Amino acid sequence: MLPVAHVCMPSGGIKGYRPHDGTGIWMAKKADSGGLKQNMDKAMRLKSVMSVLAFLLLFLNAGRSLARSPWQWNLALKQTKIKDAMVMPTALFLDREKGHYYVVDSGKNRLLSFDRTGKLLHILTAGKSLDIPFDMVRTGDGGLWVVEKGRNSLSYIDLKARKVTTHTLYYRGELIFPDRIEYLQGTLYVLDKASGDIISYDMSLGPLRRFSCGRCPGGFVDFKLYGDSIWALDLLQKMIYVLDLKGNINKTIPVGKEVSFPVSVAVGPSGYIYVLDRHQGAVAVYDKDGGFKYRFLNAGIAQGQLYFPIEIRFDPWGRLCVVDEGNGRVEVFSR
Amino acid sequence: MKRKWLGTFLSSFVVILLMFTALGQADNVCFKCHKKADFRARIVHKPVSDGRCDACHSPHVARYKGLLREKTDELCYSCHRKEASLFRRGVVHAPVYQGKCLACHVPHASDQKGLIKRTLADDCFGCHKKMPRKFKYTHRPYSQGRCGVCHRPHHGDNQQLLTKRPDTLCISCHGEAVLKTAHRDYPVPIGGCLSCHNPHGSSRKALVRNVLHPPYKKGCRGCHNGKSKIVTIDVCFNCHGPAKKEMLRTHSHLTSRTGNSCMNCHFPHTGDTKTLLRGSQGQICRTCHQGTFERYKESPSRHPDIDNCTGCHEPHGSRHLAMLKGNGNDVCIRCHEDQGKFTHPVGPDVLDPRTGQMVTCSTCHNPMGTRFKYQLIRDGKKDLCILCHQAY
Repeated sequence: MLPVAHVCMPSGGIKGYRPHDGTGIWMAKKADSGGLKQNMDKAMRLKSVMSVLAFLLLFLNAGRSLARSPWQWNLALKQTKIKDAMVMPTALFLDREKGHYYVVDSGKNRLLSFDRTGKLLHILTAGKSLDIPFDMVRTGDGGLWVVEKGRNSLSYIDLKARKVTTHTLYYRGELIFPDRIEYLQGTLYVLDKASGDIISYDMSLGPLRRFSCGRCPGGFVDFKLYGDSIWALDLLQKMIYVLDLKGNINKTIPVGKEVSFPVSVAVGPSGYIYVLDRHQGAVAVYDKDGGFKYRFLNAGIAQGQLYFPIEIRFDPWGRLCVVDEGNGRVEVFSR
Repeated sequence: MKRKWLGTFLSSFVVILLMFTALGQADNVCFKCHKKADFRARIVHKPVSDGRCDACHSPHVARYKGLLREKTDELCYSCHRKEASLFRRGVVHAPVYQGKCLACHVPHASDQKGLIKRTLADDCFGCHKKMPRKFKYTHRPYSQGRCGVCHRPHHGDNQQLLTKRPDTLCISCHGEAVLKTAHRDYPVPIGGCLSCHNPHGSSRKALVRNVLHPPYKKGCRGCHNGKSKIVTIDVCFNCHGPAKKEMLRTHSHLTSRTGNSCMNCHFPHTGDTKTLLRGSQGQICRTCHQGTFERYKESPSRHPDIDNCTGCHEPHGSRHLAMLKGNGNDVCIRCHEDQGKFTHPVGPDVLDPRTGQMVTCSTCHNPMGTRFKYQLIRDGKKDLCILCHQAY
């Protein structure tokens, strides 16, 4: 039984109303018999006005949020058969030469490649030898460098020879725990999870240089290479560091209160900075100077929503790709 | 003549008004029923001494217990405005954050400065019941109940509401010269006092924490090879093999700028318990995950014992989301056995049609906290179900 809402009405009007559940229509409970029809008309007119106002408000609000976020869901990189779905994908690599996406499926120990339309091309399990793959790059020789968390190894997969070689990394005698990996012009850049520093290696895995945030307590959790710069993200201090390839910190950009648990950073074609918030399932956008512009997406399971997302990256066609670990897919957004 | 009358009338009015006001202050109508003696003590709250009971209480009806006009904290902050903004900064004491001013203070009168209920120590131990009042060797300020020597009561910039950073605080009383003499052969600059000493008390002399790390018992060389003052994590892994295995998973707490991730949560030399943890789980986890605690602290529906993080989360590393101890089912059915047997279909064979991911308890529940009962992520009457069952 719904509670009766008593409202003030003109004399002879309806004395008792109760809201109809869900529909928002106000139904007459009891009225003076003479004025019932007239009052029902009034109520209907009021309802119409309210509906128009509500619609206008919704439209204006929707318009505002659309104006704030130009991104639209475009496609998802995922398995078409539900039972083959990825489990905890952790990274995306973009082969700009071939125009292919590579997704690291850490939960099922495999790598999947997709074309730019989201069509699945290949599944690589490397003879079921991979042990918690986490990130990967493809180098000029066609081989794949894969971070294997389970082995604490930066493994090389020679596709032609069908051979996997594991490598334990060191820097000046110190054991390194590879986490993220990037490749640029014959150099591998590896994020050491234990120290939060980035270490560069030549192709024979000879250590070259250490890139550090100085005195930041947690170190970096993600980084990307853009031109001659390293853009690295410090989770605890919620700060982006821009370093040159000699290790000098050229710029720091605080991402502040707009994000609660930043885990990944990417720079868009226009120079805007995108920061992925894992716990809020959202992306915060900043201008070139670090001024906050807007945030979009939210946490959830439906298409276009994120559940424990882990990495963002732009593809060669200017689309924003979000590796959505909790939902087992990569969401691709375009403007 | 008229002026004279007007003057007399106005003077009488003022005199009568003053009389009533004085009466109101001196002999408040409230005290006709409420014993005046109950409102007398060394320190009396100003509105009480002014006889302004109505500053806080509504005499006839009110929404709040004790006929209060507002919620307790809102009422306090309506006068103590400066504190209202100040007490939201930095580390905030739990009762302050929860608006429970009366957990420590009394509203009318007290013999204690600051209108606190009892002595400061009694007030503190009223909540911190697990802490012993006395140790075999007790730090003097602690034994004297002078908690305020080291801790702030409302808010502060340091963990555990310390008045200063730990080492600075210790040195401020003990003096650098004395500490140097006491640590004559200490190979590195003196610091990290709390990694060896319990600031409240211990069964060991010099307040050294009760449990000693076995290699530390034998001497420094077990871990410190002399080349570097930082002991790297692989040295820990030499003995703690299972922890290494756990760290080498998809997600882990293998992260530290200080050079050894283990030290984020564990003391290397001594501890109060066998695990040598740096504090309670809530304290340790908060140092990095403060945002998570903040986000859920006001959720109406939260899982009981939510501060016991390791009840559900793996502290070293996990192959599951949110570093859970198992998938979204296994971790729950360890306690919720019945729901593990009779429930909405869940498990590896039941896949969410939207994502292809396994349907688990956490598909519908978020134990960290939600607006809905049973920590459901949506209203369980309808909204939750139609997320998947759209035909209904």
